[in-house]
Amino acid sequence: MSEDQAASTGEFEREPVPDSALLGFKSFLGMYAGEHCAGTELMIGPLFVAAGVSAYDLIVGLFLGNLLAVLSWVLLTAPIATRVRLTLYYQLEKICGRHLVTLYNLANGVMFCFLAGSMITVSATAVGVWFKFPMPGLEDVYPNSAGWVIAVLIVGAVISVVAAFGYKTVSKFANIAAPWMVLVFLVFGIVALKDFITATGAEIHSMKDLWQLAETTIWKGGDPLPGQTKFTFWHVTFFAWFCNMAMHIGMADLSVLRFARKSWYGVASAAGMYVGHFMAWIAASLLYAYQLHQDPTNTDVLPGPLAYQACGAAGLICVIIAGWTTANPTIYRAGLAFQAIMPSRSRFAVTLGTGAIATIAGMFPAIAMKLLSFVAIYGMILMPMGAIIFVDHYLFKRFGLISYYAEQSGCRFNWAAGLTWFLTMGACVGLVQTAGVQIYFVSLPGWFIAAVLYLVLSKFYQQQS
Amino acid sequence: MRQILQLASWLSLAAIIGPAIMYYSDKMELSTLKTTMLVATISWFIATSLWMGRENSNVTEETPSSVV
Repeated sequence: MSEDQAASTGEFEREPVPDSALLGFKSFLGMYAGEHCAGTELMIGPLFVAAGVSAYDLIVGLFLGNLLAVLSWVLLTAPIATRVRLTLYYQLEKICGRHLVTLYNLANGVMFCFLAGSMITVSATAVGVWFKFPMPGLEDVYPNSAGWVIAVLIVGAVISVVAAFGYKTVSKFANIAAPWMVLVFLVFGIVALKDFITATGAEIHSMKDLWQLAETTIWKGGDPLPGQTKFTFWHVTFFAWFCNMAMHIGMADLSVLRFARKSWYGVASAAGMYVGHFMAWIAASLLYAYQLHQDPTNTDVLPGPLAYQACGAAGLICVIIAGWTTANPTIYRAGLAFQAIMPSRSRFAVTLGTGAIATIAGMFPAIAMKLLSFVAIYGMILMPMGAIIFVDHYLFKRFGLISYYAEQSGCRFNWAAGLTWFLTMGACVGLVQTAGVQIYFVSLPGWFIAAVLYLVLSKFYQQQS
Repeated sequence: MRQILQLASWLSLAAIIGPAIMYYSDKMELSTLKTTMLVATISWFIATSLWMGRENSNVTEETPSSVV
């Protein structure tokens, strides 16, 4: 077996990646570009419009936020990944102990279940176009028709069974779909923009004309739709920066970037950010903005009908595949996380059970309709572990503390790390509930709280032990 | 054979984006764009599945991929 094959079959999971198995820049470019153009983009773009975002705030905010995300990968994740060359889980196990990693897995698995549920929701909106059953509105919390429940049930069952039978086929299919999907997203944007120009009779001869159309007709700003939080420049910037917080600041991409020859390969994440989180979000937001322009009372964020209107059956296929290829590995990985807690159960059964939970979650449109908040919570919950890894790697020796403490001491639950995690989440919730800090921003002070807490608590914990 | 399939894939991608540019330039109707995109979508998946996917992924199954 070659080392490339070894990497793909999951070797080097408890050892540093050897030099001979390192990968070139192109591998990361393709992976990031494909991975970040997913079903979620079809919800996030429209939800920006529902949040009353203005043209400047959206375009400049996304540019800056994505730049900050790329810098987080380049400056925080990639240097540790290329020095240590271990997976996130193995590194966490060395620092936190096996039991705390299991708890981290559980939190990850639960969040993955809900995110997979929202992707099942996205795919089910495409089914609704064919079968014309009532679909949920922007403010709906509960399923609103039997047809909707049946559609989610069928889509969820298919995705779960496929995930239980095999991950690799879907992964291969997702790789094939990725370049096509990126272009279909781009077409969504071009068609919606053209429809705007036609509907308004605007004369577009220069970028200035286009910008005027964007400011006055497409992303007009103003009040958000009922039930939505108003998004300003800073909301957009922080959302774009933190929506993948678990991956960069939270260090989940240590597992990916440990294969990088150089730490600057983290810059490949720009392909994902500026294709998926810039172009695709703008394109999806254009579809929804045009729907509102045509009928301001139609506030439903339903990717199926939006895509069908712009691109017909190909658009619907894109919605189904985007939701499916995102939900499938998510259910599979959530299943793996749960299996670590129930090792006696088969992977097949656990994945099916996980899929059932995701499917039930998918029936409740509130998760997809509140995706902006949910993604921010997801990042906040997993972020403290990234701060713990950062502090362990860069600061522990300077403060006379022992790195990889769980491994060195043989403990299975590093209480300094565990308390850091719980107290940071508590502090973040406290800041949101009592200090009026919105969930989109709270992870920034949260990271510093986690870093300081881990240093202080480790000082006491390591002295006592 | 592989090169022919790759050419078919590239042509399919061109048939996805080309009609959108033509629609934007008032040189194609939306209904034609939709039909062309559907045909291009089918041909992309048929042609590409016959040659792509033999590369190895560098990501292990346990890696928590991005969902956003």
